[in-house]
Amino acid sequence: MTLVIRAWVDGLRRVATAPMLWLGVYGLTLAATLPMGYVLHESITTHLGASTVSTSVAEGFDAGWWGEYQQSASGIARTLVPEVIGFAAVLANLSSVADGELPRGAVAGLVVVYITAWAFLVGGIIDRLARQRRVASGGFFAACGVYFWRFTRLALLVGSAYWLLFAVVHPWLFGDLYTAMTLDTTAERNAAIVQFSLYGVFGGLLFAVTLIFDYAKIRAVVEDRRSMIGAVAASLRFVRRRLATVIGLYLLNVLLFAAVLLAYAVSAPGAGTTGTTVWLGFGIGQAYVAARLFTKLAFYASQTAYFQSELAHARYVARPQPQWSMSPMAEAISAPPHES
Amino acid sequence: MTASKTHPTIATDRRFPLWTKHGAAAIALLGLWFATPAAQPARSPRNASYSIDVTLDHAARSLTGREVLTWRNISPLATSELRFNLYYNAWRNTESTWMRERAFGRSLDLHDRRESDWGWIDVTRLLLLGAGDRLPIDLAGDATFIAPDDNNPNDQTVLAVPLPNPVLPGETINVEIEWTSKVPRTFARTGTIGDYYFIAQWFPKIGVLEEDGWNCHQFHTATNFFADYGVYDVRLTVPTGWVLGATGREQSVTDNADGTATHHYHAEDVHDFAWTTSPDFVDLKSRFEHPDLGDVDIRLLLQPEHRGQAERHFEATRQTFHYFGDWFGAYPYDHVTVVDPAWQSGSGGMEYPTLFTAGTRWLAPTTTNGPEEVTVHEAGHQFFYGVIGSNEVEHAWLDEGLNTFATARTVDQYFPHYWERRFFGTFIPWTFTDIPWSRAIDGSRLARYRPNARMDIQATPTFRYWPGSMFSTAYYKTALWLHTLERYLGWPTLQRGMSTYYDRWQFAHPKPQDFFDTISEAANMDLRWFFDQVHGDSAIFDYGIAQLSSRDTTGRGFFDGAFRDQGSSSAVETTVVVRRYGDGVFPVDIVVEFADGHRKRREWNGRSQWTMLKFEHATHATSAVVDPNRILLLDVNYTNNSRTTTPRANAAATKWTLTWIVWLQDLLMTSAFII
Repeated sequence: MTLVIRAWVDGLRRVATAPMLWLGVYGLTLAATLPMGYVLHESITTHLGASTVSTSVAEGFDAGWWGEYQQSASGIARTLVPEVIGFAAVLANLSSVADGELPRGAVAGLVVVYITAWAFLVGGIIDRLARQRRVASGGFFAACGVYFWRFTRLALLVGSAYWLLFAVVHPWLFGDLYTAMTLDTTAERNAAIVQFSLYGVFGGLLFAVTLIFDYAKIRAVVEDRRSMIGAVAASLRFVRRRLATVIGLYLLNVLLFAAVLLAYAVSAPGAGTTGTTVWLGFGIGQAYVAARLFTKLAFYASQTAYFQSELAHARYVARPQPQWSMSPMAEAISAPPHES
Repeated sequence: MTASKTHPTIATDRRFPLWTKHGAAAIALLGLWFATPAAQPARSPRNASYSIDVTLDHAARSLTGREVLTWRNISPLATSELRFNLYYNAWRNTESTWMRERAFGRSLDLHDRRESDWGWIDVTRLLLLGAGDRLPIDLAGDATFIAPDDNNPNDQTVLAVPLPNPVLPGETINVEIEWTSKVPRTFARTGTIGDYYFIAQWFPKIGVLEEDGWNCHQFHTATNFFADYGVYDVRLTVPTGWVLGATGREQSVTDNADGTATHHYHAEDVHDFAWTTSPDFVDLKSRFEHPDLGDVDIRLLLQPEHRGQAERHFEATRQTFHYFGDWFGAYPYDHVTVVDPAWQSGSGGMEYPTLFTAGTRWLAPTTTNGPEEVTVHEAGHQFFYGVIGSNEVEHAWLDEGLNTFATARTVDQYFPHYWERRFFGTFIPWTFTDIPWSRAIDGSRLARYRPNARMDIQATPTFRYWPGSMFSTAYYKTALWLHTLERYLGWPTLQRGMSTYYDRWQFAHPKPQDFFDTISEAANMDLRWFFDQVHGDSAIFDYGIAQLSSRDTTGRGFFDGAFRDQGSSSAVETTVVVRRYGDGVFPVDIVVEFADGHRKRREWNGRSQWTMLKFEHATHATSAVVDPNRILLLDVNYTNNSRTTTPRANAAATKWTLTWIVWLQDLLMTSAFII
């Protein structure tokens, strides 16, 4: 238990001492939404035009206007539904994952881009968290580049696993099996118990897959592994031999995640913001986003810390710090060739 | 009406004399039935009365029944045939009209049901009972299935039975029918799941003979029912120990030696009979008491998992009787049974005489519409359906629309609540505590009417509506135009009209014109222009401010070849252009507000495509609004009803974009858990 807590605390410390990393992923998460946010802003502005209704829309929730807007909306504007308000947004998104509902349309495209961006960054992130020292942006992106292609190969395995989970296992669990188990159920409570038990089963599978691929990524970076199949196999061995500890560590991070959700559930702004409270509400939302990203980094950091404490040592990374290769022109300027 | 004919498979026992076996017993039963204690003076014509014995075989999920129908011809026509609805045959095959309509109106999900889930009804004996010494006459041989609405040869929901002699106006006949039926897994709110049964539309039921012939439609997926009033005396045999509730009042329970019990129910002046049974019901009682409206015993058959919601059901029922009673007239019966349907039973939210099904969820916060809204609606149907027996098959809006309107009004009066969404398989509710439910928008479901505003003309017989938009046309549109009328005429006028309608058409079959006439009479004005548009047409209502501009008028202008001053003027001239974007016409007000706070109001009959209004005032106009009090709730686009010189569209867009961005960020982070 001490080992788990020590690794977890070490992970939190590593994230806390890498503020630029945290700021960077937050910036990515904010920047990714701005183009679509602009489109939505223009769409709402156009729809409201010079109408006096804009006042009630600006100051509260005008159900009549929402109905009209949704009726005429297309593209991403169709995603402006009451579920985006406050903590309902979190519940809606978690519920969508749990119920196997994938995002659609332009938002789905953005999700793919965002995941791809993370796939690029994650090598550099783990490298930075493992080394525990400043690497500068050049070093960070060099590491991203080094591991991106390895993680692209890993993504084939990861993608296959998640495809199996969401396209095969999920429909079977929540379609065939749930239906068979509740077909003649006449008490909703019993159906809910079945549903949440199946969430538990599916969550367990997701947890197992995530855990294995997390350590595969960590081993790929820390041990400079090139074979991703080898990394996954090594991860499996690592997890199997220290099952209780890795699960304990994962659960501690889940607790941190739950605490962040709870804090946001309490403080999330509702529909009644107006004027400066709109920005205050947005600020609370951004604090939540930042906290959640901290949690995500804490997963990587604590698992990396634990792995290093078991099979290496703190700050150990097999590969020398990757360097950003300069362009020939820059190279020539910084170090002119000697004439013989 | 055209009719296609197919011969039914009726097993006929031709071993006469049947008189001694059935006729005498039937007449004896009729004697007992009329001798039932506490019979009330007739409030309805009571021209279609039934004495029924039915036994539920739980293991086989089947019913075996026998009924004696006493039918009096109250039409001005003689008839040489009878027509019966056999609703359970809608699920005899996948090509019935109900199944076909269900498929194109919604989905094919019901086609995949297990074999054991289907249902049907077989008439095994059909006799015309003789009066006096005359022998019963077998009618089964010539009976045929007909499909008067669509000639569907696979539909067996209407049985036409030729008679040996016409039944003259005022004449009464007795018909004995025996049948067996397979109870389906619930279709159309009747059927079974587990050991829960909700049994409606379950017995051979005679149609309504009107001035122009039989009104006995096939069973359609988007419509309910229509029948004459009568007295029902029913003995229901179910397993011993099971709780049973039914239309009417329980007279007695007899335990039989074979592990069954027979429950005797009696109901007067009703036009249908439904019942439910299950060993799991929690049987609770309460009472509605009112000095002027009379007292009503309320019986609640509750699912055990909803025990904590009992009082919510009772209170919603009491409030309905209170408000509907105050507004329209008293509930005339002294009892009602509220059934909380089993989960997945598909029987919730349905009305039957003196009995209705509500519906709630295991987790139902008190801040949401919980069981209250559906309970109010179905309790409200005791008035607009139970007492006012309009034709639900042809004019569903007359009960559903009026009731949706009155439901929203009742909920608004006593039960403020908030928007709710459900997550995680819909099991987990979430309340938006800063988005209150609004009668005008949510109660009438404007957002659901709007996309289907053109789908059907309301005057079209309901069974011919596009099944997917029946609710929009019959329920929501009516609620919207009634609420519009309330705002246009004033509630006292509309209330007077609706209460007159309720009083005038109790225990009768009013038609749309009867309602229109009553409201016009109460308003003391000819409202045909309105009803012709909302009922006789699919007109879209949409008024808007197309232009708002102000300019200083100096009085200087070009006159007779030269610029001249036409007197001094420091006034500002404001021009407002109002447009009618839709084809619906409604008189509207236009209010212009000026920079100094003054307001000027003009009336416009709304008939032309547009009108231009000029205002002279000391200051510039700051806003113009057409229909500022939102009288015309049918207006499908209220955003364009106004223009202001200081719009806050940017602030509004910023607010909701920022809110949306946090949601999108959360979605991205949630999706990226796989990395």
